Amino acid sequence: MAIDWGDYRCNGFHDELFVVPGEPRAAARHLVDYLGSLSAAELAERRLAAELAIKVMGITFTVYSEGRNVDRSWPFDIIPRTLAKTEWLKTEAGLQQRVRALNHFIQDIYGKQRIIKDGIFPAELLSESANFRKQCVGMKPRGGIWAHICGSDLVRDVDGTLYVLEDNLRVPSGVSYMVENRQVTKRVFPELFEAGAIMPVDDYPAQLYDMLASMSPRLGDTPTIALLTPGIYNSAYFEHSWLAQQMGIELVEGPDLFVDSDDCVYMRTVYGPKRVDVIYRRVDDLFLDPEVFHPESMLGVPGLMRAWLAGKVALVNAPGAGVADDKVVYAFVPKMIRYYLDEDAILPNVPSYLCMNADDRSYVLDHLDELVVKPANESGGYGMLIGPRATKREREKFRKLIMADPRNYMAQPTLSLSTAPTMTDGGGIEPRHLDLRPFILSRSDSVYVTTGGLTRVAMTKGSLVVNSSQGGGAKDTWIVDLEAA
Amino acid sequence: MLSRVAENLYWLGRYIVRAENTARLISVHSHLLLDLPRGMKLGWSPLVDILGANQLFAERYGDEWSEANVVRFLITDAEHGSSVAASISAAREILRTVRDSTPRDAWEQINGLHLFLQEKGERHLPRAQRQTGLDRVTDAMLLMRGVLGANMSHDVGYQFMRIGMSLEQADMTTRIIDVRTVDLIQSKTDELRPFQHIQWMSVLRSLMAYQAYRRHEKIRVSGPAVLRFLLQDRGFPRSVTFNLNALANALPRLPAYRGSERSIDRVRALIQDASFDRLLERGLHEWLDEVQIGLGKTHEALSCSYFQPAPSTVSTQSQSQRR
Repeated sequence: MAIDWGDYRCNGFHDELFVVPGEPRAAARHLVDYLGSLSAAELAERRLAAELAIKVMGITFTVYSEGRNVDRSWPFDIIPRTLAKTEWLKTEAGLQQRVRALNHFIQDIYGKQRIIKDGIFPAELLSESANFRKQCVGMKPRGGIWAHICGSDLVRDVDGTLYVLEDNLRVPSGVSYMVENRQVTKRVFPELFEAGAIMPVDDYPAQLYDMLASMSPRLGDTPTIALLTPGIYNSAYFEHSWLAQQMGIELVEGPDLFVDSDDCVYMRTVYGPKRVDVIYRRVDDLFLDPEVFHPESMLGVPGLMRAWLAGKVALVNAPGAGVADDKVVYAFVPKMIRYYLDEDAILPNVPSYLCMNADDRSYVLDHLDELVVKPANESGGYGMLIGPRATKREREKFRKLIMADPRNYMAQPTLSLSTAPTMTDGGGIEPRHLDLRPFILSRSDSVYVTTGGLTRVAMTKGSLVVNSSQGGGAKDTWIVDLEAA
Repeated sequence: MLSRVAENLYWLGRYIVRAENTARLISVHSHLLLDLPRGMKLGWSPLVDILGANQLFAERYGDEWSEANVVRFLITDAEHGSSVAASISAAREILRTVRDSTPRDAWEQINGLHLFLQEKGERHLPRAQRQTGLDRVTDAMLLMRGVLGANMSHDVGYQFMRIGMSLEQADMTTRIIDVRTVDLIQSKTDELRPFQHIQWMSVLRSLMAYQAYRRHEKIRVSGPAVLRFLLQDRGFPRSVTFNLNALANALPRLPAYRGSERSIDRVRALIQDASFDRLLERGLHEWLDEVQIGLGKTHEALSCSYFQPAPSTVSTQSQSQRR
């Protein structure tokens, strides 16, 4: 039997495709009608085609399980998530504003620290920050840009408001899947693209290349740009090689590079050493340079920090940029926007309780069964407590953790993440929770935001965890230009 | 071109050729056994000899030289580094690391074959299904070579891959001759003569050389003529001389060329001066050993010039021995 949208229930959540059951949103109408016109057999066929395309194209991610690395096919749901262009433009402006403020903040923190002196940002937050790198103090990268690439996670609550949940400023990943999801969808539903209302997403590699090139310390020449990867066992290796390939830049591992006595970085080539101007590093700060950070790191390059501090090479993102990628620092972003840009934040933060403040802490401890508690520096959805779903024992464990190290914890109300129709294993259509990760590129003179981003969806019924490392999948994200249709 | 990438492309070339030759060898051997009389069973151990994997085989299967064991060992056994599946999977790992410098359809090709061997390899081991599975491998490898030749920029990386292919083919051809001829030389009695003929034909067939041999040599299949063809012919792409010439032509195109051709010239001279009538009487095996040592030296020269990290820093890994 074909999809009967009349059976689709939104269960009290905000649904991305439907206003109420049976009534699609304007941006989704064409999609919903089209899907409804397909028979169940056709729909199953399209899904198989997508699975095959993903397998054949080798779109994978790597998970570490049972003591070894397993390459898994990318979990993909064929039903796209839609957003109206009008809403997107506002979101885009909000993200640009946010990232501008974040870059001001990082530069300030490693410079004069005006925001602390002016009493906006508490000094003790900095002294206890796990991602503050004292080695970076006094540095000023080109254009004052530290977080060249940011992946911000957006979630929508039951009232329809899009909130920023967090800003990933260290080595955010997922952008290759954003582009590949579109490739797969185009193979599976070519008919839907004929109307021309769906905005393209494939410009990202060109934008990224231009941004990287603009950071070269030797402007004028064609810069040599390399992507530094931890290697094929990294969970995001697919993305690393994909990006290098799309941009035509070198994909290097630590041992391919060395820093010579002139403080310049070189790569070992069959022609002999070749100077590298810009390194898009996908290796964490602490593994970048064994001379400065973890001495046993095999992933980094001895002397890399020396070369960067001497201005002989650009590192993207800059070491230390992660100081603003901290779930406690996050709570201050609206104040940063006010402080540095003298503007009101366009996109709201999720209300946050900082356990370092006595009032907030006692509220959090009293409401552990309602809140989501997050450690400041974890990523990938690890180390969190989802209060309403946790056991009593888990809540007690977090009570102790918070009391022992209040600076490291913050809490937010459990949001009712929005849903979208998603195909179940059995071939039925049910709502599943999702988020959205757009990617923001910052240059000295401009800020670029991807058209939409990566929609991550929790494939398990009722689950709020969208991370691919924990059973999440993805959907193609359509920014629909209703005027073009 | 990064040194590491150059080395990976070189090994990619070697694995592609190795997988194809191994698959073909198994296929021809399976056919040959059907044609031989009961009293003269070659058995399956020669194939393991060819790949120099006797010791590992013994560790895995003891002295159970059954067809099922050898075929599994050669086709799907992941623990055996020269099995077809292991070569494909090594080539696939390499393509992952050099995805940015190789055409995407090459990845799709090797990935498809890898998945096929993982999912359906076992099912294709019994005689009735074996040929289909092996054809799939040889076809995919030829397609790979086509895709790489047609869609990849013929830059310096491509040269390294070609060099790997030539060196591996020269190596495989000498290995196949070596092991196949040991049996041939031993069987001198009159009643086996007609079967000797069949065996020389199978040597040619293992290298897809039967048709070309007939066209060019225009004489009936005989030991010395077959050796001459497979070692000295300049036009047949699996002959040792053809591949050494290809190598010698490619080397000067490498950057900062530091003369790795001396070892090749020595092998070429060795082959040009050989008298196969005499060698078939005595000393062929030792002579082939000498050729193989020459090929090994060529590999070492390449590795020293291009693959090893600059001497200024400490290398953490050595990858010179992959067989």
